[in-house]
Amino acid sequence: MHQKLELPGIERIRARFLEMLEQRQRALAEHALAAWEGTSLQDINDNLTEARRILHQIAGTAGSLGFDDLGTIARDNEVAIDTHLDGPSGKIASCPTEIIFGLDDFLKSSEALIAEQATLESA
Amino acid sequence: MKILAVDDDPIILELLSHFIEGMTDHTLVTAECAADALQVIKDNARAPFDSFLLDIQMPVTDGIELASQIRSMKQYIEAPILMLTAMSEKSYIDAAFSAGATDYVTKPFEMTELKARLSLVERAVEGLATRTSKIFAAKAVTHHNGKPERAVQLHEPMAIHDVNNLIEFMALENYVQQLSRSDLFGSICFAFNIRDVEHFHGSMSNFEFCSMLSDVGEIISDTLDGCQFLMSYAGGGTFVCITESGWRPDPRLLANDINISLAKTELFDNRGEHINPRICAGKAVRLMWKTNSSVMDALSEAHVSAEEATANYQKVQNDFWNVGRTA
Repeated sequence: MHQKLELPGIERIRARFLEMLEQRQRALAEHALAAWEGTSLQDINDNLTEARRILHQIAGTAGSLGFDDLGTIARDNEVAIDTHLDGPSGKIASCPTEIIFGLDDFLKSSEALIAEQATLESA
Repeated sequence: MKILAVDDDPIILELLSHFIEGMTDHTLVTAECAADALQVIKDNARAPFDSFLLDIQMPVTDGIELASQIRSMKQYIEAPILMLTAMSEKSYIDAAFSAGATDYVTKPFEMTELKARLSLVERAVEGLATRTSKIFAAKAVTHHNGKPERAVQLHEPMAIHDVNNLIEFMALENYVQQLSRSDLFGSICFAFNIRDVEHFHGSMSNFEFCSMLSDVGEIISDTLDGCQFLMSYAGGGTFVCITESGWRPDPRLLANDINISLAKTELFDNRGEHINPRICAGKAVRLMWKTNSSVMDALSEAHVSAEEATANYQKVQNDFWNVGRTA
C-alpha cells in the first residue's frame, strides 16, 4: 500500500493525514446528511459543494501517501457531485440517492482504512 | 531556489516541505491562501522568490487569479509558476497557462514527477539569470559607446506580457507536451511570421523591437479572439498558435485579417517614423496521433512553414521585377 512514497519521515505526514481524515469524514457525513434532508436548492447544493471540497482535498493527497484506493473513491465521488451540480439535476431541490450511496461507500472505506492503520500501529 | 508554495490543504504543504527540504537544496516558504501568499511576497520583497507552486482550486481567490496577480508584479514578470491541480480538466489548465503559468503537476503527484518538474523550473530560473546578466552587459556596452542595444537576439523566444492568451514559449512547450491523446485529437498548430523581421531587428532599438512584437502579438491575439487558443513568440519574428478541438482555422485567411488590422493600426518607431510590419502564415499542422516528441516536431513544422511562407513571399516580390529580363 505504501509503495509510492518511502521518504524518511513520511510516516509523520501519513499519521497527520489519518488524523485529519477522521475529522474530515465526520464533516463529510454531516454535509451528506444535511444535503439529503435539505429542502431548498441552495441548502442542498451548498452542502454538496462543501462535501465536494473535502473529497477534493482527500483525493489530492491520498495517492501521494500510498492510500491510492481511498484517493480513487474520493475522486469518483467528487466527479459525481460535479456532474450533478453542473447538470440539469443540479437545478432541482433534491439530492440524488446515488450520491448519498457513493458518499456512504467512501465513509466505509475511510473508516476501514483508519481501523487498518490503527491495527498496524499497535502490532 | 527560493520557492513559495500556496495550497489550502495543509497535508499538501507538509508533503512539499518534506520533499523539497529533505531531497533538494531549495528553500520552501508556504501559504494556505492567496491573501497570505500576497502578504508573504510583500514581506519577502528584499529577498524575492525564484519560483512559485500554486494550487489551482482554492477558496476565495483561486490559483489562476493568484498567478495573474503575481505576473502583474514587475519582479515576477518572468518567474516560473508551476500549478498544482487535482483536475485533469483542460479548461482549468488552459486558464492557468493564460494567466501566466509555466507548467503544471497533477495531484496526487509522485515525487519523481515533482522532482523532474522542479528541475525544469530550476533550469528556467538559471536561464533567466543568464539572460538578465546579458541584458545588463549589453546595456553597459550601450552606455559606453552609444550604439544601439543588441541584447534581444533575433532567433530567441521572448516573453511578451499583457497580451491575452500569449504565453512564454517554454510554457507553450510544456502545455503541448502534457496534452492528452484526446485533447491532441482536434488540436491544430500554425504560425505567423513577420516579414522583413531581420530589417526591423537590425534597425530598431531593443525597446522598439519588443514594442513592435508586442503590437503584432496583440493584433494576432485580437484576430483570434472568440476562439480557444494559446500562442507564443518563438523567436525569428514567428508567433506559434495552438487551437482547441472543434475549430479548423485557415491561416491564410487569418493572415489577411491580421494584415488588414496591422494596416489600420498606425505604428511608429521612436523617431516618429511610420513602421509597417506585415505577416505571412504557414500551414496548419494537426496534432492528432502524435506522440510527445512528434508533437514538438509539429510545433517546429508550423514555425518553419511560416518562415518559408515569408521567404516565398519575398522571392515572389523580387521575381516580379525580374519578369522579362534576361541575363
